[in-house]
Amino acid sequence: MSSWHDLVTASLIGTERAVVPAVAIPGLPSVAEDARDPAAVLLDQAALLTAARRAGRPPDRAEPLPACEPDPRPAVNPAAGRRLARILDGEHAYLLAEWLAALARRGLRPPAESLPALLDRARRADPGLRSLVAEAGGPRASWLARLNPDWGFVIAPVLAGQDAWRLGDPAQRRSYLAGLRSRDPGAARELIAASWRGAARDRVMFLSVLADNLSLADEPLLENALADPADDIRVRAAYLLASLPGSALGERMVTRARGLLRLHQGIHGKRLVINPARRDGSMRQDGITLVSVVTQADRAHLILEVMARTPLRTWTGDFGLTPAEVVALPAGSWAPALLAGWSRAAVAQRDHDWMDALTRRALTGPPPGSGLEIHALQQLARRADPALGAPDAVPGSRRDTPAAIVLKFRYEMLKELDDDDAY
Amino acid sequence: MEGRWDRARVLALAADASSLRAAQPLASGRCWPLTGAAGGNAVWGECQGSAAAPYRTVVDLTGPAYQCSCPSRKFPCKHALALLLLWSDGAVAADGDPPGWAASWLASRSAKAAEPKPPADPAAALRRAEQREARVASGLAELDRWLCDQVREGLAASQRHGYRHWDDIAARMIDAQAPAVAERLRALAAVPHSGSGWDGRLLEEYALLRLLADAGRRQAGLAPALRATVRTQVGFTTRQADVLASATPVKDQWHVLARRDLDQDRIRTRRIWLRGRNTGRSALVLSFAALGQSLDDSLVIGTETDADLAFYPGAVPLRALVAARRDTYPQTYPQTPPGPAPAGTTVAGLQAGYAAALGEDPWLDTWPALLEATPASAPLPCLVDAAGDALPLHPGAGPCWPLFALSGGHPLTVAGEWTPRGLWPLTAWDQDGMVVPL
Repeated sequence: MSSWHDLVTASLIGTERAVVPAVAIPGLPSVAEDARDPAAVLLDQAALLTAARRAGRPPDRAEPLPACEPDPRPAVNPAAGRRLARILDGEHAYLLAEWLAALARRGLRPPAESLPALLDRARRADPGLRSLVAEAGGPRASWLARLNPDWGFVIAPVLAGQDAWRLGDPAQRRSYLAGLRSRDPGAARELIAASWRGAARDRVMFLSVLADNLSLADEPLLENALADPADDIRVRAAYLLASLPGSALGERMVTRARGLLRLHQGIHGKRLVINPARRDGSMRQDGITLVSVVTQADRAHLILEVMARTPLRTWTGDFGLTPAEVVALPAGSWAPALLAGWSRAAVAQRDHDWMDALTRRALTGPPPGSGLEIHALQQLARRADPALGAPDAVPGSRRDTPAAIVLKFRYEMLKELDDDDAY
Repeated sequence: MEGRWDRARVLALAADASSLRAAQPLASGRCWPLTGAAGGNAVWGECQGSAAAPYRTVVDLTGPAYQCSCPSRKFPCKHALALLLLWSDGAVAADGDPPGWAASWLASRSAKAAEPKPPADPAAALRRAEQREARVASGLAELDRWLCDQVREGLAASQRHGYRHWDDIAARMIDAQAPAVAERLRALAAVPHSGSGWDGRLLEEYALLRLLADAGRRQAGLAPALRATVRTQVGFTTRQADVLASATPVKDQWHVLARRDLDQDRIRTRRIWLRGRNTGRSALVLSFAALGQSLDDSLVIGTETDADLAFYPGAVPLRALVAARRDTYPQTYPQTPPGPAPAGTTVAGLQAGYAAALGEDPWLDTWPALLEATPASAPLPCLVDAAGDALPLHPGAGPCWPLFALSGGHPLTVAGEWTPRGLWPLTAWDQDGMVVPL
């Protein structure tokens, strides 16, 4: 009596050297009586045993996994679930955070089958997105994290106080610092100052914490950051200072900006006029890289960079106009640089009135003229009021523009989450 | 007139994510100076790309099938996808007559669909058939000698052989006009590197091939159904017209359970598994896409279709053709939710069904599974039923995280393919009865 295992062993060695094991199969002549080629005999026995083993395969034994605790939140409708899959698949991927935040506000849960892709995405993402994913994922995500160590961040133990700062992952460190900043801003500033010479990634995180509830007391830290060796840090710090009312950089920028741009009251109405540009010594420190001011393109670059860092209230204040009126002023060939600069400023200064005014102008005014302007508009469209993407808000001729496509996607994405019947 | 397709239905046509990404910026009226559609039958348009001349794109919606003058080898190409997206958004007027270039292609398609071509010369065809039988017979004899040589010399050397070892004998089977045997042999090159147990798997395959060579030699004495199975395994094909003419159609309400797409040698194969509500029969509908053709999208997972299926002959008839459909084509999916989850079996039930089928067709290595079970890892991923019986998931299916996420440790209905290496999960119905293609 022999088994499949013996047949496999004999076939490995070869019937030239190995004896075909005797496999007793009811109804078949025993191997000893089979006078044919031993190789053929072995293959015939193997064929029979293959079918027999496949047909008679004993089931494995396994214990089911512990059941996941129920998630009381209702699931999103299937249409919204499919949109999440589209976003995770790379379509408007930057909207994931907005989608998740909207989901959380409505107290809904994402489709379970999307959780692995969400967790994979969060694993490589910034702390903000990680915590959004962990919240959206709920108990099912924690259950999955116990099966796959890659997703351990979802169930990482909550470290308290100093431990979170010393031992925690980037998300926990940021959360500790943000907590400290809201309780004791002075202590948070001291901690940042003392930890400043760490990794550039840490300094980016410090600046993102400072961005919330920015005050003049933060100015020395940010001025210090303007001398940082990393370009990224300098630019971020400059944008923060520009949005800080009363900061020295903001004042320098306002002076530069007023020197560049003025309102001309002509007989045909108001228009914006650009003065000849000059370079000054502190521009580089303030984050403006400039080679010359000779060509038209250099001047446009300067206008954009200065406008992007100048407090927007300068214009509404100086001209006595609303944001919508300012962006509607004729500016000739400089309009693209001005609009792109203001768009960047509106995003950095989180000024929604300006964002909406600029977006509206882009959707109703003359078409965007330059690549820079188109890019700035797309950034705006990601943040402007999604109601601007409603079908009747955009003129038909503009529905194909990249900004309108983004707004429409956001409008539909948020509307769909409120629709209980969407399938 | 039939309605426009939903966006999701259009997106599902894409061959991969990159063609979708490429299509999206083109799905705008600006890129299409000319578009038009004829009811629910065809859409066409001219896309202004980087080239001087516009690309001309036509989609036959009844297929769907695509034609585009761009050099892309993807079907559908980004232009066809963009055009369909535009159309699904309602941005294409649906009242036009196609321009000449579109009309001629559409006409050639409907002509091709309408008239079957009669065999040119029956006597020559018969002669060719006889020649093929003779070639196949001598090819199978050669295969048998080759298999015995392998076992005589020992399989231990297989891990040192390169692909050539199997490609050479496969090429000889192509010459002998036994293409299905050749395909089986080519696939064997990967077995010696498939991890522990490879030796047993290789012996199984060699043994089943020898059984096939032997059965091919003695096919005249076999029962007609088994003979048909043997001939299919060798690579004789049955024409669709013959299937439709000879098989008694099976009328039922067919639940579309699962779908699997395989890419092989520049050919995409789509396998759709169906189960009849009243007959309890399983059916497999295959479609292929080579260059210039598109995969069949007419059977949507989770839906039911009232149809007549014509089964190909065989000892275990699984493969079938949709001979007639009485329901409306699910144009509006996914606006209408699919029906409830089908009833799955236990592990023992699945194994009993497979064992019975193997008794009829020993070469059968893909069997439709519809299980009521819970995913577990013990320690490898598996599905365990209420009785505690478990079956492994196929190692090639990966960690199957979406299946685990959907379950959360609770039982699911899972449809998939059971193979000797494990179960390949394809569709799951969650606790709320929602269908999810995996």
